[in-house]
Amino acid sequence: MTGIYLDHAATTPMRPGVAAAMRQVEEEAWGNPSSPHQVGARARRALTEARARVAARLGYAPREIHFVRGGTEANNLAILGRFAHLRTSAPDDPLPPFGLSALEHSSVSAPASHLEGQGVELVRLPFDAMGRPDRSRLRQCLERGPGLLSVQAVNSECGLALSVEEVLEASAAAGVPVHVDGAQALHMELPKPSGRPLLLSLSGHKLGGPRGIAILAVPSSVALAPLLHGGPQEFGLRPGTEDVAGAVGVAQALEETMEACAVRTGELETLRALLERRAMEATEGVRIVAREGPRSPHIVALGLPGVETEVLLGALDLEGVAASAGSACRSGSSEPGPAVRTFLGPDATTFGILRLSLGWNTTPAEVEEASGILHRVLRRLTRSTIAPSPSKEGSSR
Amino acid sequence: MKPSRILAAMSGGVDSSVTAALLVEAGHEVIGVTMKTFCYDETAGPSRTCCGLDGILDARSVADRLGIRHMVFDVEEEFTRDVIDDFVDEYAAGRTPNPCVRCNSNTKFRDLLRRGEALGCDGIATGHYVRVRHGAEGSTLHRGADSGKDQAYFLWGLPAGMIPRLHFPLGGLTKPEVRAMARELGLVTADKPESQEICFVPSGDYREFLQQRLRPRHPALEPGPLVTLEGDVVGRHDGYAGFTVGQRKGLGGGFPEPFYVLEIRPEGREVVIGPKEALETHGLEATGANWIASPPAPDEEVLVQIRHRGRGIPARVEASEGGASWECRFLEAEPAVTPGQSAVVFRGDQLLGGGRIARILREEGSRTPEAAELSA
Repeated sequence: MTGIYLDHAATTPMRPGVAAAMRQVEEEAWGNPSSPHQVGARARRALTEARARVAARLGYAPREIHFVRGGTEANNLAILGRFAHLRTSAPDDPLPPFGLSALEHSSVSAPASHLEGQGVELVRLPFDAMGRPDRSRLRQCLERGPGLLSVQAVNSECGLALSVEEVLEASAAAGVPVHVDGAQALHMELPKPSGRPLLLSLSGHKLGGPRGIAILAVPSSVALAPLLHGGPQEFGLRPGTEDVAGAVGVAQALEETMEACAVRTGELETLRALLERRAMEATEGVRIVAREGPRSPHIVALGLPGVETEVLLGALDLEGVAASAGSACRSGSSEPGPAVRTFLGPDATTFGILRLSLGWNTTPAEVEEASGILHRVLRRLTRSTIAPSPSKEGSSR
Repeated sequence: MKPSRILAAMSGGVDSSVTAALLVEAGHEVIGVTMKTFCYDETAGPSRTCCGLDGILDARSVADRLGIRHMVFDVEEEFTRDVIDDFVDEYAAGRTPNPCVRCNSNTKFRDLLRRGEALGCDGIATGHYVRVRHGAEGSTLHRGADSGKDQAYFLWGLPAGMIPRLHFPLGGLTKPEVRAMARELGLVTADKPESQEICFVPSGDYREFLQQRLRPRHPALEPGPLVTLEGDVVGRHDGYAGFTVGQRKGLGGGFPEPFYVLEIRPEGREVVIGPKEALETHGLEATGANWIASPPAPDEEVLVQIRHRGRGIPARVEASEGGASWECRFLEAEPAVTPGQSAVVFRGDQLLGGGRIARILREEGSRTPEAAELSA
């Protein structure tokens, strides 16, 4: 069995160009960038160059680019670091609220809950299935002067692209800094700061780069406090000896991703449409989550009536297709995430959920084969002969 | 048994771990499955019983070690509806339920088989200490070889049509043998303690669990009178849900001889108590019957087991028309038959069927006179 990997939104294999660039760093620039000698200098030059490449791509100054250890850390640092700064800079004032979209990944919603536990009020901003914010709620939120507003660029559960630009414009006018989690924004233009207070997180391994490294871009106009203490690295925001190979790897991955974006988008849309069509042919009542909205072409979430999520994932895995139900991290949980719950409506839990996500190395042949397997498995599952266990029977009572 | 694809229930305990290992050894393609039966957040403290979150992680690590797939199936909704709600309702009605029977009959096997079919499996396996014999005449279910571990009692509710697809690799083994195998295989679960409590009441305090589930001031948990068979009030109790027919503890003292619970009457919140000889029972009526084999002839002497650790009592059984209930007469008097518990019929070591004890027959010989009618 060859195996077809359609879970690239969870992680994606490393791009060969990234692996080559990192290998070179490990061999030639493995030193500590803070060391005073030539070995250190070689590493420092590699790090500086990686930072400059990222900065140029994202529209930031190099000093505004911070390499941190993973996407979760980048999101935590943006949010908790922002409120840590507000707390220390005005210790006598009450902390302002934190605004966030109601669709966030747990690496944003969990630090938000942590802040809430410390007395920060959370303002959750609803978005519709077209990716648009509830405008009056956005206005109300901004009028309250939140310390930060966090909005994901692309939802990891269903691929919906949120109207980040609209949020950014309104927030910039109100002087409110915005944090954008761009972990899944691989096939769209990333928002540029252009003088606006925009913080941006990008995760290395989602781009085909290494795991355990991420980018947090913080404009000089927005102050954060570090969460860890121990050294001046990353302009005082992230202490610890720098991961130079990781920084070079994520820079390379970002460039390759952005260059592929233009040519790849149309192809992925075609492949995704094939998967959607074959699923809908297999059984009645299939729902595509946020179907009408602007969606990133690499992700689709299907709501499948009468199908159990775990059984479907198991059956696909047995046929060599690796997929998932979304970004649920809890062991054994089959609860749908916030976006699927919102867009499938009140009966969301009656659907089996299947998230298929395509990657930089997904081929048309693979998707063709996978769509056939999906069709076959769905037909079998929706025609099972054993009924679910009956509800309470009266005979023994 | 020819090699096939088998879905093996893995709770994270030693028995199901060895079950999966034996199937792998026999050349089958095994898919390990852990059923997530209830929300672990509600059970405080470390999860000591099987199927908790620790159970899922242990099962996964054993599956990794065996090189087999592992899946987690969320059956929380079905389990809550068919097992937990029933458990609470039965106590509220003054009976003593048997949730493990309920789980096996309604949730575990049915859900496994249905998902197994969806996954293209030929059969399912569990770590129960029972034996199944697949013959030309059909498949029969038998007690496990280890009489101390035999679990046939819990399986009477399995639909007969399911039996041909079941595998119980531990049926011919003893517990020490199973543990030794687990150690030999280096399974992390080899020395896990036996789970004793009801899985969804890990504290063992079922009264506290009922308090959380029943409405406030539910009569089952409110004080009521302790009465004798003659109707004299001889004391108070703090809620009939805390009592089981045959129980001696918790009745207080001051009686001329040891007193036992004879009956629970929910309508007056009465717990009826009396001396040991008043417990003596000569038969029972079981409802919600299920027959895995054909019911015995009325004149055949069979064995009826009325509690998990009990022996088989020689008896004659008569199934009702249609088989939904049956009545049995013990050939010797039996102390303490507990309504709500399972009564299971055996021919030698073969499991024929069973039912839930609805009425107990205190009078010798006759069919249904002066039966202690219990609110069924």
